[in-house]
Amino acid sequence: MERSQDLALGLLFAGLGLAAAWQAGSYQGAGGTYPMVLGLGLALCGALVMLRAARSKTDAPRRLVDVPANLVKALAAGVIYVALILPLGFYTASALLMLALPPVLGFRRPLYTAVVAASFVALVWIVFSLVLNKPLPAELWAASRLGG
Amino acid sequence: MDFLLNATSAVMATGPLVAMLGATLLGVLIGALPGLNPVMAIALLLPLTYSMDPLVALAMVAGIYNGSMYGGAIPAILLRIPGTPASIATTFDGFPMAEKGEAAKALKIACWSSAVGGIASALALMTVGPLLARATLHFGPAEYFWIAMFGMASVGVMVGSDPVKGVMAAVLGLLLGTVGIDQLSGQARYTFDQPWLLGGLDLVVVLVGLYALPPVLQLAEKCDLKGLSAAQLRLASVPFRKGEVKGLLPTWGRSSLIGIFVGILPGAGGNIAAFLSYNAAKNASSEPESFGKGNPQGVAAAECGNNADNAASMIPALTLGIPGNVVAALVLSALMIHGLQPGPQLFHQNPVLVGGFMIEMLLTSVLILLVGGAAATRIFAQIQRLPGVLLVPSILVLMCVGVYVINGRPVDLWVMLAAGTAGYLLEKLNVPLAPIILGMILGPMAEQSVRRALLISRGDPVELLTRPISAVLAVATVAMILWPVMKAIKRRRAKNMSENNA
Amino acid sequence: MKINKIIVAAALLGCTSSPALSDYPERPIELTIPAGAGGGTDTSARKLALLLEEKLGTSIAVLNVGGGGGSVGASQFMQAKPDGYALFATWNSPLTTVPQVQNVAYTLDSFTPIASTSETAYTLCVHPEFPAETGEEFLAELAANPDKYTYGNDGIGGTMQLAAERIFQARDIKAVAIPFGGAGETLQNFLGKHVDIYGGSISPVLPYVEEKQAKCLVVTSAADVPALPQAAGLESLGLGDKETLLWRAILGPKGLDQAIVDKLAAVIDEAVNDPSYVEFLASKGEVPNVVKGEALGERLREEFDALAVVSKNLGLAK
Repeated sequence: MERSQDLALGLLFAGLGLAAAWQAGSYQGAGGTYPMVLGLGLALCGALVMLRAARSKTDAPRRLVDVPANLVKALAAGVIYVALILPLGFYTASALLMLALPPVLGFRRPLYTAVVAASFVALVWIVFSLVLNKPLPAELWAASRLGG
Repeated sequence: MDFLLNATSAVMATGPLVAMLGATLLGVLIGALPGLNPVMAIALLLPLTYSMDPLVALAMVAGIYNGSMYGGAIPAILLRIPGTPASIATTFDGFPMAEKGEAAKALKIACWSSAVGGIASALALMTVGPLLARATLHFGPAEYFWIAMFGMASVGVMVGSDPVKGVMAAVLGLLLGTVGIDQLSGQARYTFDQPWLLGGLDLVVVLVGLYALPPVLQLAEKCDLKGLSAAQLRLASVPFRKGEVKGLLPTWGRSSLIGIFVGILPGAGGNIAAFLSYNAAKNASSEPESFGKGNPQGVAAAECGNNADNAASMIPALTLGIPGNVVAALVLSALMIHGLQPGPQLFHQNPVLVGGFMIEMLLTSVLILLVGGAAATRIFAQIQRLPGVLLVPSILVLMCVGVYVINGRPVDLWVMLAAGTAGYLLEKLNVPLAPIILGMILGPMAEQSVRRALLISRGDPVELLTRPISAVLAVATVAMILWPVMKAIKRRRAKNMSENNA
Repeated sequence: MKINKIIVAAALLGCTSSPALSDYPERPIELTIPAGAGGGTDTSARKLALLLEEKLGTSIAVLNVGGGGGSVGASQFMQAKPDGYALFATWNSPLTTVPQVQNVAYTLDSFTPIASTSETAYTLCVHPEFPAETGEEFLAELAANPDKYTYGNDGIGGTMQLAAERIFQARDIKAVAIPFGGAGETLQNFLGKHVDIYGGSISPVLPYVEEKQAKCLVVTSAADVPALPQAAGLESLGLGDKETLLWRAILGPKGLDQAIVDKLAAVIDEAVNDPSYVEFLASKGEVPNVVKGEALGERLREEFDALAVVSKNLGLAK
């Protein structure tokens, strides 16, 4: 397990390093030499990791993910959230995330969730929009009213 | 020292005092929220200060700056999420301490260390500032190159159990640091025709992803539905044990000196100070292997170092008119808006204002003890009482808002998610994350200064070593790399001897 | 033709869908600055924003987008809606200099010029022991010793370097350019004698001129600069047509309604000439300079073309 993981990791970094070095070949002067050296260095490190993994006799188990189901849920929620921020607006998307993710993860106290979500989003709104006056992606419902 | 008396009486008015207290508390909050950082906060508050009494305005800057450097330690200890780039080194030992149930102690040490570092730095600013500032002028590109190398050598303490993977992470960081327009040739590197990459990867965006997302994902995996009770938290104030403060004194002294030294060099920042201090503490320790496993000395070194950077970073700005970092640049621009001309004459133009600012840097460091302790235990620790499943979306929202407001562009959110996912996997594969950030910070500094030095010497690399200061720094770098090795050999020998004698 | 039609259509669309102009502005304006907080452009823009807020009766939120010599902020701003609620406060470099050396996504046509605000010259300064006391002697010394002297500047292909090289090319001078991150860094390396010549904006070096640690011998404006009596303006060196200034302006995205441009230009004119702003500019060695609308567009195009020649001669052009 550990062995094959390290083989893959080393291969990934070696590939990344070679790609970076190859790309650096098109840069002129010292501005290209430096990333070229770094790319080759990264490739060397990756190769070392691979070599060591290939020669190692032990292959201890190492779990990449403890609870895959929950990890996938959380990551997917993150991706959907970020994708929705622009179309829906920052606060709408945030409120949705805060309401939807806890039940998906198995939290069965809707009132508690709603209270925390409402107060947290309100707090963020007070700090960023009211006090700091920072522009955030506009809300869907507000944009149609205000957009020119 | 007359000016200090005058300045003190000017600072001891209601306006500056209230501003310092409020701003220090605000600073702690800002530092503690991942994604928010002092630079952003001070930049946002700057317009407000234009119409204000300058001493009140500077009191706010001082409070936010000092407060936030400590604030960063709170999530670093409680959640292993550094609140600011300068608190990465705090996570090394702070979080393990919290896991051992010593969160309260770690927070207390962070608080005291921050205050000590800040006070030492402010005293340096008041007394030897102008002298030190003149000395920094001798640091040219060749010297800066060696400082970057010196910093890179501290990667040795972060690599953990697997040196190859540690070095690999550092090289990856260096490579990430090359993305964007190359300042010395004007060509775009690794930008793939994306305009937003021309400025390079934003350090804070990568940092928030790399460091904040993995703990959040792990929190989701744990799926904690209950939250900790107050009793489990054990955050009631723990008094220092007898002799405990005495044990921290050498670390505080060392880290203060390192922080001040890094601070006065324009361009080097609190994050480098924290790394170097941590490294020095580990090297000096009789039990270096206990670092990274919850050694209080590690927390003390990192937090003392990053606060000792603060006031010192104002030295070149106030004495030479050269801002060494963004906060110093903001202070200078605030002074200019109030009609002062930065430069060597600044102090003579308005000794009460400049002296007052120095005193405010000192007082806000002291205030950390008062405000920081209370804020950390009373307010922030409360978040840990929320069930983990509710914390997960809350932190995600905070991360996104913090990342978005830096540059106002949605693509940064994807960078953050990608960095975080990569960070999660790399950590599981035993690849340390700190060297990546260190490489991103020091890489551009090392590359640009070495190329500048070679331009000046017309391509002769020998000049990198023959200038007196650069020679000393080069030797120090080599010593830094060899020191842990020598120590390990020595200890092994001692162990062998005792075994042989037995 | 097709493009023109699209622009007209877009402009018309903007007219019809936006509420009556008399209401503008009715919500906060977002001001993008293509530089980090605390620098010269940032300070000038923020101070101006305060005055504009008062005169427009709306709040202005500032967004700093640094990097790429200003090209990152400019590329990002280019995509803003031309509704008058997104403005861009920049200095000239991202528009006229950076596109010469970088592959950027924008051209001068990606923006609607509204009004310039202030300008200042760059200066070249040397240490007191440098064997020259006037601008003419300085250039002669450089010309006589090709590649002997190093000069610090704000970055390769930056306006400062091009301003200097324009003069150098006219006099057949070869000096080694050492790029730094900004005027502060250049000044530090100049004071520490790591470079021979300071090249950058006037205000950082001014106190050192008064302390006699630096003598500034050339300014890149045609006229002399009162604050630097020893420095020669380019007119007196017979190089009056090589003038390159650092100037600041406010622009909108492409297709901004002309009525909004006029209204904003008038308000900016008023704000820039407000005594408090003039005084603030003076402390930074800048003077107010308001060029509005199409005239500003013309100025941008002229500077762009002149700098294109310089960067081509330098071998910097992409």
